[in-house]
Amino acid sequence: MANKRNTFLLIWILTAIGCLFVFLKYASPKIFQVLMAKDHPMPTPSTLMMWYMIMGVLAGLVYATTSNQKFADFLSFLLPGSGHVIQSFLRNMLFVAFPVLVGWFVYTWSIPGAASPVELRIQHPTLPQDFEKLENPFRQKDDQAQRKSIEEGKILFQTYCRPCHGSKADGNGPFANSFRLRPINFQDPGTIATVVDNYLFWRIKEGGPGLPSEATPWDSAMPSWKDDLKDDEIWMIIMGEYDTAGVMPRQREKQE
Amino acid sequence: MNNVKILLMVTKKSAFVWLFILSFVLPLTLSQKIFASEAPAQVAQEAAVSGVELPQFEGGQVSGSSQSSEGQPATDVGTTTAVAAEEEEIVPVQYRTFFGIDSRLVVWIVSELHLMFAAFVLGVPIFAVIVEIVGFKGGDIKYDKMAKEFTKLLSAAFATTASLGGLLAFCLFGLYPEFMGHMTNVFAPTMYVYALLFFGEAFTLYGYYYSWDILKGTAAKKWFHISLGVMLNLFGTGLMFITNSWATYMMSPAGIVPATGKVLSMYQAVYNLLWMPVNIHRLIANVCFGGFVVGAYAAVKFLGAKTEEERAHYDWMGYVGNFIGVGALIPLPFAGYWLGREVYSASPVMGNIMMGGAFSWTFIIQAILIGMLFIGVNYYLWLGMGRIKGSERYTRFIKYLIFVIFLCFAVWLTPHNLPLSGEERAMIGEQYHPFSKYFGVMAAKNAVVNLIILATFFSFLIYRRSNKGEMVPFSEQGKAGKIGIFSALIFCLLMLVSYAVSLNFVELDANIKVFVNPLIRALYIQAFAVCLAAFLTFKNKGKLGQTLLFAVTAGIAVLYFWYYGFQVMQKANLVLRYLSVTQVAIVMSCLIMNAIIDVFMFRKAKLVGGIVWGKMPVRSQYTLLLLCIVIVILMGLMGFIRSGLRMDWHIYGVLQDTSPWAYTPTLSYMGRVVGLIVVLFLGLVTFVFWLANLGEKKEEAKPKGYNYEVSGDDYGNAH
Repeated sequence: MANKRNTFLLIWILTAIGCLFVFLKYASPKIFQVLMAKDHPMPTPSTLMMWYMIMGVLAGLVYATTSNQKFADFLSFLLPGSGHVIQSFLRNMLFVAFPVLVGWFVYTWSIPGAASPVELRIQHPTLPQDFEKLENPFRQKDDQAQRKSIEEGKILFQTYCRPCHGSKADGNGPFANSFRLRPINFQDPGTIATVVDNYLFWRIKEGGPGLPSEATPWDSAMPSWKDDLKDDEIWMIIMGEYDTAGVMPRQREKQE
Repeated sequence: MNNVKILLMVTKKSAFVWLFILSFVLPLTLSQKIFASEAPAQVAQEAAVSGVELPQFEGGQVSGSSQSSEGQPATDVGTTTAVAAEEEEIVPVQYRTFFGIDSRLVVWIVSELHLMFAAFVLGVPIFAVIVEIVGFKGGDIKYDKMAKEFTKLLSAAFATTASLGGLLAFCLFGLYPEFMGHMTNVFAPTMYVYALLFFGEAFTLYGYYYSWDILKGTAAKKWFHISLGVMLNLFGTGLMFITNSWATYMMSPAGIVPATGKVLSMYQAVYNLLWMPVNIHRLIANVCFGGFVVGAYAAVKFLGAKTEEERAHYDWMGYVGNFIGVGALIPLPFAGYWLGREVYSASPVMGNIMMGGAFSWTFIIQAILIGMLFIGVNYYLWLGMGRIKGSERYTRFIKYLIFVIFLCFAVWLTPHNLPLSGEERAMIGEQYHPFSKYFGVMAAKNAVVNLIILATFFSFLIYRRSNKGEMVPFSEQGKAGKIGIFSALIFCLLMLVSYAVSLNFVELDANIKVFVNPLIRALYIQAFAVCLAAFLTFKNKGKLGQTLLFAVTAGIAVLYFWYYGFQVMQKANLVLRYLSVTQVAIVMSCLIMNAIIDVFMFRKAKLVGGIVWGKMPVRSQYTLLLLCIVIVILMGLMGFIRSGLRMDWHIYGVLQDTSPWAYTPTLSYMGRVVGLIVVLFLGLVTFVFWLANLGEKKEEAKPKGYNYEVSGDDYGNAH
């Protein structure tokens, strides 16, 4: 028979899974609130919660079955007849708790309620082919000309883009709070730093209304600027925007 | 009589199988009919709206609406006379349908099935020959027997691969005549070479299998037989390289005038930008695929084994299959990253579609599947420790490995863009949740995949050591040990230092080039760590050397590059490609050096106990089956992604797909088709393996003459 410590393997695993739940549900939102200096907690999204919990359960099951001895220990906890008082108490608790937990899940999933649907979002909607071959004319110029276009672009950025995207291109413009989905923080390395210049050109020129059908449900409040800005002005805004955000556009690599 | 019973049984079972297949096919066919009726109008509308002049291949394209469903020009039936029909000009046909079923679906299924069988037929000979050489050099007959058993499966699968290849060619030429006209125009000479190589493949494969028993007895005969196997691999690899040139040309066309389709250089068309990355990726993936399919075959045999000897044999075979699968799986992410990077080089837009656009969610599915593969192979190794006396000393590490691997898996599958409800978005209050912000980008993914690889390698090391006891000091290992360690050291130093030196000469703007300097320093630090590990091994402190090398590698390639990857992404994304290669070089040097140290450190070590082959829990065999199913799904998924990235182009930027099936399928539709392909492949491969074993059922009832209570040396020979 297994030793005393091992006979509680099931309880240890359940405790670990419980700790993971508490961390994701309660600790992590507070930790991120402090780390990111927010005035509100950053709740773990339900999708991630589900994925991480599934993985936690899977990890527990993998550990419990890595040897026949562990597997026997894991199951033995559920068998009657082992004389330990604490073990009997925990086993009875488990037999009561498990159906209650299942019932609670069924209840919470089946009660009527109103919630907006969870949307599968795509980071970069497909760039139409006619924008792919475009080149930013200012990137080809000498340093002095580039610097000039950046400075002019910054002025244009502050004029047209600042209200939403903020003076530092960090997504904190004066209007930012009025959007359901806040304007993008361009300083984030996962945003404009991952795309080429012409991707921005397309997004500025066509805006949300110009998104292709396959881009849905990529909802964007970005206006279309094609009637208000000339192409050169848009390219200059792009130059100024990258400089303001302190990031570089993805550059075409030389084909080896 | 028995055969009649078998046939009756197969007939009964096949009815259920057909019902199962139909349940997949019918919804697909129906949905296609619905889509087909809407699609032409949609295509025409989109073309009208876009109004964009794109480079077009002038191959006599005719709009879809002017053709009947069978691709024939529309005619006024009431006024057509026999004379008019004779005088009617023949209009080139662009597309046909396959008995009313959508052509793309047919080509998708047939080509993927062909690819899967081809992967098996190309992957298995590589390790069949290696296993044969190992058996021959080590004088162990069971390796030879196993290599022959692999080859028996090959010969049966080869005919199916060829049949599917023929069907695919007919489908392509029949259903997409204009597209195939273009391909033939560019690649016709390579098609003849392909046919010649195919003859070579067929002759060497059957020669290799049928001469197995004839060509043994003397060393000269055996080497001749092995050389046949090598030839078989060369022909197979040549075949794959040619077909890869066709497939990659469709993604990154070269050597032609895009506007007219005129061929300027067939060499450039073959050696297009994505050709070599796909060649290398597929070569490794085929070995991985073959290993896991063989592992599943052994698992089925193990589960049906009647005797201890049979169980021992198939347990050992499953172990070897899994070992080969893992061996190929470890470098696969590196090759995959190279391919992905070159997709970005070929077209940044295609790259964005792949990783951040329409195909980004398929990569989350890929992440789940790859995570399952790594967890599966580790789990199998941990379970395998149960059959080794002495493994108890190392099982304490398992819980830490589980923690590390699952933690990495969690980061690996966290998407940059989470599916969020409106309420969650409002509560988070910004674009990204911190989990997705820091875990969802490539810097994090690269870091954790390297940690998973290191953890898997560590699992393998503790498995390997389970049977080893007291070591002979390295100083007493003789010349072989010193030469081995020294060779590995030189190889690693050449790899690290030469790359560090080459980084000094990369052509970048000065403000970006400063971001390369930390990479150079990291490579030199790793080179020093490798030297230190070798030095400590010479001083009989090999374990300390290994530990230091692991620590330095994890510190640089995982922790530091996770952080530095973010910096580079922001400020100098051109440096990302150098960062990735540096990361790979550092991890590879750790794997190579530590593996060689381990081999020589534990050479001549006292054995704690034998490996009891066959003493494996049943769940280990189901793990092997799971690994096979996962790799088949993964191959189906990646095939879809590679092909789908062209969006509505047959040949990207050159020849547009104007058929009604040019739309990008939804994830749901893709899932059903890939699911159907997986079921069909597994069903076919089971049938083919059953056929291969039909004639030898009685003979194989009881394999004789093996002692599976093998020593550590026997085990060592497997590697």
